[in-house]
Amino acid sequence: MAENEKKILLEVDHLTKYFNTPKGLLHAVDGVSFQIEQGKTLGIVGESGCGKSTTGRAILKLIEPTSGKIIFDGKDITKYSRSKMRRLRTEMTIIFQDPFSSLDPRQSVMQLISEPIREHRLIKGSEEIEKRTLELMDTVGLARRFVNSYPHELDGGRRQRIGIARALAVNPKLIICDEPVSALDVSIQAQILNLLKQLQKDIGLTYVFITHDLSVVKYFSDDIAVMYLGQMVEKANSDELFREPLHPYTKALLSAIPLPIVGKEKPERQLIRGEITSPVNLPDQCRFMKRCDVCQACCETGKNPELREVRPGHFVACHCVE
Amino acid sequence: MSDNILEIKDLVVHYETDDGCVNAVNGLSFSIGRKKTLGLVGETGAGKTTTALSILNLVPDPPGKIKSGSILLDGRDVLQMTDKELEEMRGNDVAMIFQDPMTALNPVMTVGDQIAESIELHQHVSSKEAFEKAKEMLKMVGIAESRAYDYPHQFSGGMRQRVVIAIALTCKPKLLLSDEPTTALDVTIQAQVLELMKELIRSQQMSMLLITHDLGVVAETCDDVAVMYAGKIVEIGTADEVFNHTLHPYTEGLFNSLPNLRERGEELIPIKGLMPDPMNLPEGCAFAPRCPYATEACEKTQPELTLMGGTHCVACLAYRDAQFSLRRNHNG
Repeated sequence: MAENEKKILLEVDHLTKYFNTPKGLLHAVDGVSFQIEQGKTLGIVGESGCGKSTTGRAILKLIEPTSGKIIFDGKDITKYSRSKMRRLRTEMTIIFQDPFSSLDPRQSVMQLISEPIREHRLIKGSEEIEKRTLELMDTVGLARRFVNSYPHELDGGRRQRIGIARALAVNPKLIICDEPVSALDVSIQAQILNLLKQLQKDIGLTYVFITHDLSVVKYFSDDIAVMYLGQMVEKANSDELFREPLHPYTKALLSAIPLPIVGKEKPERQLIRGEITSPVNLPDQCRFMKRCDVCQACCETGKNPELREVRPGHFVACHCVE
Repeated sequence: MSDNILEIKDLVVHYETDDGCVNAVNGLSFSIGRKKTLGLVGETGAGKTTTALSILNLVPDPPGKIKSGSILLDGRDVLQMTDKELEEMRGNDVAMIFQDPMTALNPVMTVGDQIAESIELHQHVSSKEAFEKAKEMLKMVGIAESRAYDYPHQFSGGMRQRVVIAIALTCKPKLLLSDEPTTALDVTIQAQVLELMKELIRSQQMSMLLITHDLGVVAETCDDVAVMYAGKIVEIGTADEVFNHTLHPYTEGLFNSLPNLRERGEELIPIKGLMPDPMNLPEGCAFAPRCPYATEACEKTQPELTLMGGTHCVACLAYRDAQFSLRRNHNG
């Protein structure tokens, strides 16, 4: 392999996850494919119920995918057993959205951060473990005086730093960040985003960054995938996606963000009609059709559009995009 | 008749708990003009919601205590009203929309009945008439009349928030208090609900106090903006004044913390540290420990809200130096 050749760390191929519900088959994730290079960030954006979190969890096999392939670091992990997955959990891990409910309230900061180290027997000897825990606290910017505090004594930002320290404790290659800053105030959000970015620079982490907040995802990601009802509708380089969105849903999503600008030129708002439809028993048709303004005859008769490359590196799933 | 629908002066609200006294609101003053929308911005714990509850005289007591100040609603002091007068005022003159539409609605009543209930209570009409009117209200907020017979769980988040708005508007209040009305909603739904609220405010000629932490939402909807920090207003003015001629270092910090949608990749400039514990506020300016411009004087003296031109007021000692200006204003 040539030295400057890019290494694909994670490849997801036609991943699906269906849930059986009393009303029928719920298509939570429906044929999602992407690749991420080592050291890069893929942002997955979409509204509630679009399947972005399920995708994140299925990659880690925290929920068993219905079909599809997950190739991590050259290994096909789709059929890995629980015990084999357990070993892999030191290489791929997750940061959760809510730092209030994802931490055991009865464990101190020391116990919380050292738990993954003990669990995976990464370091032996309690003194060494303690040393590593304190180092991790330094890395994530959590003052050492909190080492014996409990989560309820800390604010949201500090709790999220514990979550990050726990993820880093196992020296992972890939971290799935599931809305890591959504529960935080803006000034604290900026601190956490800077920290995650710095860590990426320092130790070459690869991120899947799941969020509903488009301004955060743009700031953070190299590539962005937009999801709607379990499927990717558009995927492109971050700058290109924001400069020139092609899918009608992406356009509407971008124009819906309220911009903190007053009195200066502002792009015209495009409101989309209606709300996300139910992901149960979906017909083989474009899923955005009923809310779409450019919908044409071909969308009504046509099948569910496939993701296709319309420009180098820019993929879109829409009948009406040339 | 005064030009202002609401005038708050030197409001102080404390929560007296077993652990100590939480200084939630510490000498807050602002007013809202008729048919104007004021955005009240601040982070968690700044005292935004306590302020809104004070306007309805609904601060939970105990542990909450409105210590001093006055809240003039259309010229009458809310804090001096009798229980009966308060009951008349709530809903009729002032209505409130809460953040979470699921907990604001009764899960075992149809939405039509819930809207009709407040019409019946306030306008003394028959229940049949009230229900008919409830259907009209639903239509006004963009929901088909036939759905008046459905229960809240049958609606999506955005639809539920529309129902809550319909209930708030049944009595044509003069002032609407909206506490993070779109925070729980997706962006595309948020855009729809904000558009609806703007339209209704205009057509019903209401004033609104919009509480939010989202500067984008403020820019989208508000005429005036007040920035709150540790229970006080630190900057207030028209949206143009606050967004384009920012004066307070905290407001500047909020803008710097926002990821910029137009340019990417530069490191964000967060505000260092955390908001002070409201049980233990610093002696001087509450923002001084986090402020990049702070001097020794800031640690000792509390700044007063001072008019700087137009309607733009700021509470910051740095402006004693006539040459002072924020970095944000240097590069256009």
